[in-house]
Amino acid sequence: MSHVRSFGTCIPAHHAVSRRGFLSEGAVHAAGAVTVAGCFASDMGQIHALRSEEVARELRNQDKRVILLWLAGGASQFETWDPKPGAKTGGPFRAIQTNATGVHISELLPELSQRMHHTAIIRSLNTKIADHGGGADLVETGRLKDPGILYPDLGAVVARELGRLESKVPDYVSLYTSTEGRRKGTSGFLGARYAPMFLSESMIPLNIARLDSVAEIDHHARAGLREALGIRFAASRRSQTVDSQNSAYQRVQGLMASAELFDITQEPAEVQARYGPTQFGHQCLIARRLIEAGVPFVKVARAWWDSHGQNFETHQELCADLDHSMSVLLDDLEQRGLLKNTLVITLGEFGRTPQINSSLGRDHFASAWSCSLSGLGIRGGVAYGKTDPEGHTVVEGEASAADLFATILAALGIDHKHEYTVGARPVPLADFGSKPILDVLT
Amino acid sequence: MDENNTPGSTEPPSAALIAVTLPNKVTVLKTFPLPGIGFCLATASDKSLIYTGLSDFSILRANLSAEKIEPAAVGVNGHTSYVMGLVRCGETLVSGGYDCSLIWWNAESGEIIRRSSDAHARWIRMLAVSPDQTRIASVADDMQTKLWDAVTGACLATWGDYEAQTPQGFPSMLYAVAYSVDGKWLATGDRTGRVLVRDASNGQVAATIETPVMYTWDPTARRHSIGGIRSLAFSNDSSQLAVGGMGKVGNIDHLEGVSRIEVFDWQTGTRRLEIEDSKHKGLVESLQFGPQDAYLVAAGGDNGGFVSVWNMADGKLLAQDVAPMHVHDFELSLDGRSLIAVGHQQGAVINLFSVSG
Repeated sequence: MSHVRSFGTCIPAHHAVSRRGFLSEGAVHAAGAVTVAGCFASDMGQIHALRSEEVARELRNQDKRVILLWLAGGASQFETWDPKPGAKTGGPFRAIQTNATGVHISELLPELSQRMHHTAIIRSLNTKIADHGGGADLVETGRLKDPGILYPDLGAVVARELGRLESKVPDYVSLYTSTEGRRKGTSGFLGARYAPMFLSESMIPLNIARLDSVAEIDHHARAGLREALGIRFAASRRSQTVDSQNSAYQRVQGLMASAELFDITQEPAEVQARYGPTQFGHQCLIARRLIEAGVPFVKVARAWWDSHGQNFETHQELCADLDHSMSVLLDDLEQRGLLKNTLVITLGEFGRTPQINSSLGRDHFASAWSCSLSGLGIRGGVAYGKTDPEGHTVVEGEASAADLFATILAALGIDHKHEYTVGARPVPLADFGSKPILDVLT
Repeated sequence: MDENNTPGSTEPPSAALIAVTLPNKVTVLKTFPLPGIGFCLATASDKSLIYTGLSDFSILRANLSAEKIEPAAVGVNGHTSYVMGLVRCGETLVSGGYDCSLIWWNAESGEIIRRSSDAHARWIRMLAVSPDQTRIASVADDMQTKLWDAVTGACLATWGDYEAQTPQGFPSMLYAVAYSVDGKWLATGDRTGRVLVRDASNGQVAATIETPVMYTWDPTARRHSIGGIRSLAFSNDSSQLAVGGMGKVGNIDHLEGVSRIEVFDWQTGTRRLEIEDSKHKGLVESLQFGPQDAYLVAAGGDNGGFVSVWNMADGKLLAQDVAPMHVHDFELSLDGRSLIAVGHQQGAVINLFSVSG
């Protein structure tokens, strides 16, 4: 058997990518990552060498979904999930009782306070890295960067684990319309197949519309002809490459058809009104539509929380947006029976300092901060971990970015210790030594 | 030093002296530590005794004539959040805070005389007292202006007329309030840069002034806003209104806009002066006209602080220096030659000199 070598591993020839396929994948992938990502994207058998296909199929059949509300720039834990009213560092806001006994959150989140039965708060993140890029790299992938390997982010891992090969909708959609701190996300060694469909300038995907010069009827006729020829061809020349070619065409057609998922005007006016007038609200509604249509992972970035000046005013604006939009989203998911299968996460690259600076701002802080997990697999009404009375340090239940990654995977029913094989290197889904926080899981 | 420069000075100087002597130097005379952020200031009539409301929810009293200034707490069990407004009416102090309450205190004993726990539905941002000390005006993020009987604590009037939300759909804020020196007018200013001047007797809006540069909405990079009108001051003849805040901001993560003042002949709506400080950035948190309206003193800051003196004849800078802290409030002495300021973790006595040559 002939072999091709890529990224330090030998891949059997029948797993190798065709030249056309390689160029096609390379074209949609960032320069520099093409070689690694493009090759491995075609070789999931190799990456998943240790996984029972039955287990994977069963997992995918459960229709589990994730919505990540990315609080870009770093929201303050004091003004959200870990208020310290009366402390020197606490700021001016009060803590309010939630509908979970003994759990208090900032008064800036009154609507979410009444939905705490869906939500577990983790108040004890210590991720150490307090610069935007480094913090985001760490939190998004659950591990420190490694010059020898491109790690996939959470969205790509979930897309890989929960996405269906035959799916006609994207596996990973990322919306980040603000320009500050904009990050596309990365599928790393999982390859372009799991890279996000990234929407930045517009909430409607660009370049997937049918050309005006091709009539609708012609478009469908061409697809039918291609499918018929493909089936006939595959009948006598069955191989993974041919299957892959067919599934790629199906996905492209699916993506073209999915444009309407991004069009919230197709929702009843009452539903649109409930989500409110803000762009973040609109994007939460898009996220619900995508989840409902079967997209496993949707990231909605709400920038920009980097409140070095006027922290309290900034959080009055942004928390109002988060509180309302996320509350409506949780209600909507619950009413549609989707919340039991959907994990909703709020997370950013870090939190903010206990000290209030001269501009009435808070600066970057990664030593003791918070996130929230709601819905699927989560024990609602729990506040896990503890910081000291002024919020300088974690005093109970310290959790790393890797632990959080493992917790999210565990909530989804994914074995965080399962290993991908990249070259000869075993790479667990969550970093070595990570432990899920069992107290927040059902 | 001219004896009129001392903060405790009670005798107003002659008008002739003020008319010809514009300050051209700002000097910090002394500082004193505060256990938190001093947001607001009230003084006894002789200005040697000051009161300040803080971020630790307390009100402190300090004797500026003491050799070592050691602020001490006024009373206990007061506010449960930041104290943002403080006025003195005779022997009574009235404070307002982010806990939405107004509290009447005996200024001497610290005893609480009266408490209105739900004076406003949202954060109280500032108080102003009428010149005759019979009325107190409060503004809050419920976007209402309320008028209170300074003695009985009765709410005499509630005035709205502001939008609850910014044009982009986020909560607005009503930051500033000032009485005219003749007591007839009441000015208020909000986050979006709208000033309303009301007849203080009946709340009727006499003038609406827009200062949109004070408000920055970032629609692209960060999708939130910063700024707002943070200070208002009527001239001594009540004909002019100075509005303080910050100019347009590029990176709204920081207070990096230039400090900005607009001065209006408010009854005609004419903007007399537009002052942007090229040297000091940040919010103009407090404003006060000097004697005979010859100059305007402004203070505020970003991560640092500033005190500036502007010539009201032409809007040019007369004197300026960094303050030892971001200044949130100040009061000018009766002679207009010194000021007492409070701000981030500190208070200060600052003199305004006229240095010849």
